[in-house]
Formats: sequence, structure tokens, C-alpha cells
Amino acid sequence: MRSFQKFTLLTVFFVYLVIFAGGLVRVTGAGLGCPDWPKCFGRWIPPTSIDQLPPDIDPAQFNITLAWIEYTNRLVGMIVGILIAAAAIWAILRFRKYKRIVRGTIAAAILVAFQGWYGSVVVSSELNQTIVTVHYFLAILIAGIMIFVYAQVYALQNREQSHPQIPPDIRWWSLGLFLLASVQLFLGTQIRSTVEQLAQNYPLLSGTERLVQVGIVNHIHLALGLTLAAAIWVFGLRIRKNLDIIPSLLKFGAAGAAILAAIQIILGLVFIVFGLVSLAQLFHLCIASIIMGLLIMILSSTFKMKEN
Amino acid sequence: MASKSKHTTTIVILALVVLILGVTATFVIIEAQSSQSDLEILGTVPPFELTERSGLPFGTDEMKGKLNVIDFIFTSCEGPCPVMADNMSTLYQAFAGSDKVQLISISVDPSRDRLQVLQEYAQRNGVTDNRWVFLRGEIDTIKWLSEGVFKLSADDLPGAHSTKFILIDDRGQIRGYYSGTDKASINILKTHIRELAEDIT
Repeated sequence: MRSFQKFTLLTVFFVYLVIFAGGLVRVTGAGLGCPDWPKCFGRWIPPTSIDQLPPDIDPAQFNITLAWIEYTNRLVGMIVGILIAAAAIWAILRFRKYKRIVRGTIAAAILVAFQGWYGSVVVSSELNQTIVTVHYFLAILIAGIMIFVYAQVYALQNREQSHPQIPPDIRWWSLGLFLLASVQLFLGTQIRSTVEQLAQNYPLLSGTERLVQVGIVNHIHLALGLTLAAAIWVFGLRIRKNLDIIPSLLKFGAAGAAILAAIQIILGLVFIVFGLVSLAQLFHLCIASIIMGLLIMILSSTFKMKEN
Repeated sequence: MASKSKHTTTIVILALVVLILGVTATFVIIEAQSSQSDLEILGTVPPFELTERSGLPFGTDEMKGKLNVIDFIFTSCEGPCPVMADNMSTLYQAFAGSDKVQLISISVDPSRDRLQVLQEYAQRNGVTDNRWVFLRGEIDTIKWLSEGVFKLSADDLPGAHSTKFILIDDRGQIRGYYSGTDKASINILKTHIRELAEDIT
């Protein structure tokens, strides 16, 4: 079971790597770097010169850099698909009595297969904003499920912590933080969509001008971000009071979320002061998904592991 | 102590991963940006002069200092032209706030597309200012422009005119060709205009 635990952790790492690769696609505008799917310009390996393009494709669309950025996202996605499928098979063969582990890995496997296919919808929709956002949420959901599985395995491994007497208010805190963060994540994606739409409709607006145009949602996102970060810190202090009975995953999750929440605020300030810096956007998007993962981990470790 | 050093190792590894990802991302982002802004110069437009729908002359002098998108159309065309006009119209709206960008539709059917016809055509497409102009001239000049200057087919005008949009920079240099009937191609054109517009003050 220890190797399975390591394997699920590796899978989680790869899911975040694909979120990172997907974020790169988003900030570089490489989403249509390959106009077809699953192949790229009709080839399994993207073309390296304009002569290799199929005749029905407009050469203006060909940009080797963007094609490879998009294709890397697909390749890493495929690795994740294989890893999760392997985890599901492993769980079915070896850990059948732990229903949550089996169900979790199977759900993740189904979702990752769906996500792969959904990538084709993203491309054929020519990057419809809602579809792109759902694509991102699905990735976070997959990461969340695998983290849930990891937390279950971890609890089984560290039996002394598998039945913690967690004060009920900590459970409520976990749930509250998770819900708050979900709203915040949703608002963030709305801002991103609006910015993208503005870029399409008014290409000459600068990043800062576009942000200003977004208007009220920006302010809500900022206010909620500050609230959420404060709440995560208060939660961390609350945990410190009962340090000895708190499972270590929960402690790790809370500490991680507290640090990352602070970084998110700093990145938010970067947007306000310097505009939409691509690298800051990429990290803002990735860290948001990691915070969601940590909150899911916190939530998972406040519930007991059932053996049935 | 053992667990403390383990923690330190984890933190160092995490920091390394973040550093590697950050450096990779920076490289990729810069590379992607330059790939979209390094537009080759594909040729230079020699001096020409046609007539605008208002009756005023319009030529290379009117194109200087602005980014120009040129297409070839004729008003009675029912094939790809309406889609091209739609896409031009999208550009017309997208760059509404700026007089840096000029759209130029050149008629390949001067015998039927008199100035009055072009006037009506412009109105039908919702054109209310001079950011989108409609030109007519001698068929030989049009053919020379299409074939000789822009290297686009013009064998059997007006029917077989090209559906490409051509991007000309503020110095009269050809910077790109885009499919006038394909939305993805138009989006790339927008990105290229944005990149070139940054260099014009």
C-alpha cells in the first residue's frame, strides 16, 4: 500500500503539471495552436515547417511555437490519463475492500477520459469561454479526487491518525473554506473570460485597460480573496490550539493553503500595479487550483476512513 | 531532528520545482510572444491610386502611417463575399476606438460597382466613417494589384477573386495573409494588428 500511496501522489503531481501546461496554453493564447484534434495539423507530431501543412489548412494558422505549447498540454494530459487508469486498475485489483479508494480512482479515470475528449470540444468551439472554464474546473476536480484518494490511503497507512477526534467546528471550517474558495475560483474564471472577450472585441486595449473594464467583479474578487486568505489564516491558528490531535495531512494542508493564499494576494497586487503579466497569471491560476486541492485534502482528512 | 531535515529536503525540492517551472514558463511565454510579433516583411506595395466611394482618390499615400487590411470583393457576389464582409465588419467594430487601423475593400467588378453602388454597399455593412474604405479603379490596375503585387490569383475576375485578407503595415509593407472566411485566421490577424499597432505612435 505504501507504493500505491506514492503512486497516487505522483499522479496528483502530474495532474498539476497538466494544469500548469494548460495554464501556459491559456496565457500564451496557444489554444488553437493545433486547429484539429487529436492530431496537430493532421500529424501525430506537429509539423516543423510550413510545407508539411495539409492543403486545406490556412497557413496563417501555423505557428510552430503555439502548436508545440498546445501539443505539450495534450501529451502531459495523456500521461495523466495513463497514470490514473493504472491507479484505478491497481485499486480494483488490490484494494477492493476500500470502497472510497476504488470509487475515487474509477471516478477520476472516467473524468480524465472525458476531459481528454472535452479537449476536442474546446478546440472545435474555437475556445468558447464557458467551455474553456469547464475544462479548467474538470482538471481541478480530477486533482481533487486523486487527492481524496491519497488522503484515504494516507489515513489507512497511518492508522494512529485514522480516527482523530477532530473538533466539529474544524469540520465546519473546512467545509466553509472550501465553499468560499469555490466561489472565489468561479469569480476568477469569470474575470479571465471577460478579459479574453474584451481582447477579442477590442484588441487594442492594454491589459490594464481590460482589467478596469471588467468592473465590479474585480472588486468582489479582491475583497473575497482578502477575506478567504484571512479565514485560512484564522483556521490555521485554530488548528494550532489542538495540534496534537490533528492529522498531519490536515496540518500540512492548512500550512500550505495559508502560504499559497498569501502568495495569491501578492499576485493579485501585481495585476493591479503592473497589469496582466502572463507569468503572474499562470501562477495565479495554478496556485488557485493547488489551494483547492489542499482544501479538498483538509476536508478529506476531517472525515474518518471507513473500512468496509 | 530526522523529520526536520526531511521537511527541509521537501521544501528545497518544492522550491526547485517551482523555480524550474517558472524559468520554463518565462522562456515559453517570451518565445510565444515573439512568435506572434516577429512578422516577416513579405513585400512592399508599389505606389498605386484608385478612387474611393466618395469620389476622392485613394492610394498608397492614404495607407501610410496606418495598418491596412485589404481584401478583394464585388458587391453582387453571393459566394464567399458575405462571409468576408462579416469578418471585415468584425474588424471594423473591434478597432472602432482607433484610427490606426484602416480596412480597404477593393472591387474586382468596376463595370458594375460604380461609386454609387459602393456607397450603398458600405451603408449595408454599417460603415459610418472612413476607417473602412471601398475602392474602384480600372480592371487592369485591379488585376495587377491582385496578381502582380499581392501574388493572389485573378484569372477570371470578378468571379474567381481571392478570399485572402492582406495585412499592410504603416510603411506599406506586406506583413501577412489570412483567410477572409475563417474565424480562427481572423483572430490571428487581430493579434498581429495588435502587435504591429504597438510600434505606431
